[in-house]
Amino acid sequence: MSLVKLASITKKITIAAVGAFLLLFLPMHMGLNLCILREDGGEWYRNVCHFMGTNWIVKIFEVILILSVLVHVVVAILLTIENRKARPVRYAVPSKTKTHAGSKFMIYTGGVVFAFLIIHFINFYFVKFGIVVEDDSDTYTVEVEDLQMHLNEKVALIQEEMMSGKISQEAAQEQMMALQLEYMPFLQVLQTGQPSEKISKDGEELINLTKEELVQFAGEDFKEYEPDFYTMCNKLFAQPMYSIIYLLALVILGIHLFHAINSIFQTFGLNHKKYNKAIEYLAGAYAVIVPLGFAIVPLFVMFCK
Amino acid sequence: MNLTLKIWRQENARAKGRFETYKVENISPDCSFLEMLDILNEQLVDKLSHPVCFDNDCREGICGMCGLYINGRPHGPDDGVTTCQLHMRRFKDGDTIVIEPWRARPFPIIRDLVVDRTAFDKIIQEGGYVSVTTGGVPDGNAIPIPKKNADEAMDAAACIGCGACVAACKNASAMLFVSAKVSQLALLPQGKPEAARRVQAMVAKMDELGFGNCTNTYACEAECPKQIKRSNIARMNREFMCAKVCSEE
Ligand code: HEM
Ligand code: SF4
Ligand code: FES
Repeated sequence: MSLVKLASITKKITIAAVGAFLLLFLPMHMGLNLCILREDGGEWYRNVCHFMGTNWIVKIFEVILILSVLVHVVVAILLTIENRKARPVRYAVPSKTKTHAGSKFMIYTGGVVFAFLIIHFINFYFVKFGIVVEDDSDTYTVEVEDLQMHLNEKVALIQEEMMSGKISQEAAQEQMMALQLEYMPFLQVLQTGQPSEKISKDGEELINLTKEELVQFAGEDFKEYEPDFYTMCNKLFAQPMYSIIYLLALVILGIHLFHAINSIFQTFGLNHKKYNKAIEYLAGAYAVIVPLGFAIVPLFVMFCK
Repeated sequence: MNLTLKIWRQENARAKGRFETYKVENISPDCSFLEMLDILNEQLVDKLSHPVCFDNDCREGICGMCGLYINGRPHGPDDGVTTCQLHMRRFKDGDTIVIEPWRARPFPIIRDLVVDRTAFDKIIQEGGYVSVTTGGVPDGNAIPIPKKNADEAMDAAACIGCGACVAACKNASAMLFVSAKVSQLALLPQGKPEAARRVQAMVAKMDELGFGNCTNTYACEAECPKQIKRSNIARMNREFMCAKVCSEE
């Protein structure tokens, strides 16, 4: 059966059901984010990110979640198109009828949330971390210049230690040799341009590296390499523009959620004067607490770091 | 009172419409809104131009024929009244009043402010009735129904089919009307046997006719002259889900 032919109420129930699932997910995500508040140099936060990035149950939920968002958005757009068509000629005087808060703007608030989600995904899946870029096919790209700088720093460190007398001249020489050995593959690639599929045409970056090759070329330091979400998060939120956009998006999310939660009960036929007030309070509480929870992170990074 | 009226004029469904501006003078505040339009029409007829067409019948708020979109609100600025029950004392001397017809794809314009609401009849024909002949009106207390249910059914049955809910809704959704009709029967024993078939057929017809989807803005409830409650829509959603899950029809 085509989506378009589904009964209006079926479409509504679909959007509400996936919406409800998304509502369960948000507080959990908020909880994970708040781990960044712990003053432990990012230990918890990195662990949480590691868990979320590698655990297979989480991976399954990730797929369900993305599908849910897509279903929600597709049905929302469909409803909006149908609803516009139902009134081909608009009124000259804009409506003065009282409506439920936020209910008229669902497609716009939803659209902002969607745009925000896209930026969010770009940051987390395709972002550049220091000298290593993790691309989408699980291979790595390294800037030659960055790697040279990294190497120079190590050399400088050994020299410094030697000068200050922390280590003997022999030990320093030994370390230099070891370093040269470690970075042999890298230096070779640079000089010979071979293997050619591992270096870009302009010679500015090493490409298509597997995890082992990353270690081989970029050194033992990258054995445990993982994208560093903690640093990334702190860096992003240190930019005032980014934080402000993030906070605005949260306010808009709150508006979406306030109507959404009220709406969900009505759509599922739960409307009774016994508990309608409770639903309104619940929606209000959720729509304030959850976005506020998310907002603490950029506020904390901006003002407390 | 002296008023400026901006009224939508349109020859027929296919013609292009436009707003015309009229002035009316010495209108008594005790006049009803439709009487004010009668006065305007007399002036127009005197000048040998076409009077403004508008629907009306009972002029006492029970038939559902009248219905004008006045200054951005169906049935005008008062809550819980039809256009015929609206009085000019709700306006101020010198006001400009913009009058538009109901706007919705399933309600094509017949002429000026008159729209064709046959779509509602078609929805009723799909199941807004009880098929068996029940004979004469039974004695009030002969069917044992809890007072509360009888009251709720009666409240839903108060819908006069005016279409203000559709006119008010940003989606031109007919959910309040259809849910009132579904509820008045779903709440009573006579309506029970056909409930599952009824709700599915009426919703299908409503969709087919091109009414929009409800997005729970509750504009319908705010503008309904009979103050039909949105809880009826929730009831219809329940009836619909139950019918889909439990019924063989
Ligand atoms: C975190 C993300 C989101 C959550 C938790 C969420 C939740 C919800 C919920 C619970 C509803 C109420 C459904 C109902 O009963 O009518 C809803 C409605 C809606 N959502 Fe979302 N939503 C999210 C994102 C989006 C996005 C990205 C869009 C994109 C266009 C969107 C567009 C809409 C629209 C148009 C409605 C109104 C539909 C209606 O009332 O019939 N939402 N949302
Ligand atoms: S539900 Fe109210 S607004 Fe809608 S048709 Fe019935 S009486 Fe008119
Ligand atoms: S004319 Fe009958 S309700 Fe207004």
